[in-house]
Amino acid sequence: MAMEGQIALTVLMGVLLLGVAVWLTRLEDWRSYTPLAGGGVIGDETGHAHHEKPSGIIRWFTTVDHKDIGILYGTYAVIAFAWGGLAAFLMRTELVTADITILPGTQVYNALLTSHGITMLFLFGTPILAAFANYFVPLFIDANDMAFPRINAIAFWLLPPGALLVWAGFFLAPFADAVTGGSAMSWTMYPPLSAEQTNPANDLMLLGLHLTGVSATMGAINFIATIFTERGENVGWSNLDIFSWTVLTQSGLILFAFPLLGSAIIMLLFDRNFGTTFFAAEGGGTILWQHLFWFFGHPEVYILVLPPMGIISYVLPRFAGRKLFGFKFVVYSTLAIGVLSFGVWAHHMFTTGIDPRLRASFMAVSLAIAIPSAVKTFNWITTMWNGKIRLTTPMLFCIGFVSNFIIGGVTGVFLAAIPVDLVLHDTYYVVGHFHYIVMGAIAFAGFAGLYYWYPMYAGRWYQKTLAKWHFWLSMIGTNLTFFAMILLGYAGFTRRYATYSGLTVGPVEVITLLHQTATAGAVLLLVGQIIWVWNMVNSYYDGPRVETGDPWNLQEDGMRGREWLWFERRLETTIATDGGDEEEALTDGGEVETDDD
Amino acid sequence: MDEQPGLSDQYRMSSPWPMLIAFGIAIAEVGIFWPLAPMAVGGLLMLVGSLVGMIRETGYVESPWPLLGGFGIALVAVGAALFSYSGGAFAVNSVAESTRSAGSVGLRGVSIAVSGGLAIVGALVGKYWTTANADARY
Ligand code: HEM
Ligand SMILES: [Cu+2]
Repeated sequence: MAMEGQIALTVLMGVLLLGVAVWLTRLEDWRSYTPLAGGGVIGDETGHAHHEKPSGIIRWFTTVDHKDIGILYGTYAVIAFAWGGLAAFLMRTELVTADITILPGTQVYNALLTSHGITMLFLFGTPILAAFANYFVPLFIDANDMAFPRINAIAFWLLPPGALLVWAGFFLAPFADAVTGGSAMSWTMYPPLSAEQTNPANDLMLLGLHLTGVSATMGAINFIATIFTERGENVGWSNLDIFSWTVLTQSGLILFAFPLLGSAIIMLLFDRNFGTTFFAAEGGGTILWQHLFWFFGHPEVYILVLPPMGIISYVLPRFAGRKLFGFKFVVYSTLAIGVLSFGVWAHHMFTTGIDPRLRASFMAVSLAIAIPSAVKTFNWITTMWNGKIRLTTPMLFCIGFVSNFIIGGVTGVFLAAIPVDLVLHDTYYVVGHFHYIVMGAIAFAGFAGLYYWYPMYAGRWYQKTLAKWHFWLSMIGTNLTFFAMILLGYAGFTRRYATYSGLTVGPVEVITLLHQTATAGAVLLLVGQIIWVWNMVNSYYDGPRVETGDPWNLQEDGMRGREWLWFERRLETTIATDGGDEEEALTDGGEVETDDD
Repeated sequence: MDEQPGLSDQYRMSSPWPMLIAFGIAIAEVGIFWPLAPMAVGGLLMLVGSLVGMIRETGYVESPWPLLGGFGIALVAVGAALFSYSGGAFAVNSVAESTRSAGSVGLRGVSIAVSGGLAIVGALVGKYWTTANADARY
């Protein structure tokens, strides 16, 4: 049996390699790459650019252009968001009733929980930020491309196999007896549980996570190199935009955090398969894993939140009609968060019985990190104060971000206080806290960015009414779901349970009601996101064309960013070559000429 | 910056190698970890082949073949070391069986060495029996 399998696999691999070889020889015709460094051909070739890229799907497989890669990252992230979102929705549906009713069993719930957490953090969160960073950082800093365009492409292409491996348990379970379902180690992968579960899906998930970690590290090195070395003549450190600052800081955090996660994952993999005892009670001990994991894990939450803060700091002022208040202090607080975030990890371990003196110092730093976060929040509010506010969809998401971030941040400060945490640790309060941040803030910033730059990357307008529906459903849904969770936490309800029929203490009716409220919120969220996907896809094909380089009318406030100037030039070159159908729409606009001097 | 309109659209931005390198890493990783010899061999070949292709494309080497041979020798060395570490054991496991038996370690060694051997053969064939030689294409 084993032998036959190997033979079949050999044939399969042979065919695959042969296919690749044939594909490569067919690509020969167009394979005339101009090295990035020697781009001497400006002027005369303008407008012929698109002839050089291979067409159709091949373009996407072979691109090393930062904007294309940004779009690939974005598409990938949205697919992951859908997977993670559906997993969450299934869990919430299960929690309407106290017993297992919808899902086949509690182990399936655990697998969904694991998949949801890992997917949202590693396959959606990090990549969606890479999407924005890839598309916009080179535009903001006036670079031709990333410093290492091919490394950039490698980093992206590591992600799809990574996702397949992370989700592999679900796909393989029907075919392989050994695989009992999706991995159910939870996103924190605490031993001894994670070392003892025999399901091979766990190993595959660890391998997949490892790939995504390698990918994130490659991307981070690339961004650091790009921001340091590829800035245009007019872009110095003093006028570097806020988004690039946050990406730079984030990349620094990734550089220190992700390799550590990679090593810890390998150690766990070895514990599982090769008899090492890094995290076994008789070896390094299970707490060692928690230290390593959270030394990565806490910086990871700031890796996820800094660029969204950058997007908010960038977009919000545009619709408040004034410059970002205290720009310098927003930059300083970003750097401060970057440094401090490595000194707070043990606030995830207050209840593990670590030395109380250590605990106290981690409490102090955790409270301190709230200060730079608050500095930013006050700066956003002051930017809006007395401003000329325009409630466009991106602005609504920005304001939603600030509002949700305040609740998420304040609950975080409570958790950072040891006495409070001893009561609330491992309850739904924690889940409420971090979802206010990851959903209410990070995802909201993503939406703000996606709407704000939609005219640029789609070349068309989205449908405004649908966008408003998306915002309000998301805002109300988020607060309904996650505020109910905060209350569940106060009621003492523990997290990560598929059922609650065995409750003998506590306000059982209230708990049931709160769970149902949370699920109601999840329904609103689901409807909102379906509207969003529809709007994005439908408008991409049918939306009204954008005809000006200043679609948001930012020029009058002097708030038009560098990327819109680039967009305007691109509009002009497109008109020059495409001729025909598009230019009629332009005649009445006239904006195309005005700002370009 | 304005004197270079649309600049970033002009480069001929494509290369087939990055995707193949990434997939090669992924396939090799699973193949070596879970000893599935064909995936290990195929993945490693894809990885070193594409690495060589990309390094050549960017002009760091004139001819791909010596580099491919070098990668092949390195793989043979690593594989042989692993094989001898396992004490010369060798067994084809099914997925459900232990990944830590001496036989499976030996199998990993052999598959890495085999991929290296194939790379060396490829390098020799490429150098002496094909016309795909040193001239850079751009
Ligand atoms: C104002 C700054 C913040 C403070 C003081 C803070 C504090 C805390 C504390 C003390 C915990 C541990 C609770 C427990 O398990 O008992 C925690 C959990 C968590 N926080 Fe925060 N937090 C802050 C901001 C953030 C941000 C910005 C994010 C996300 C981007 C975040 C994401 C998380 C996550 C994911 C967990 C749960 C980890 C788990 O156990 O699964 N926090 N936070
Ligand atoms: Cu933390």
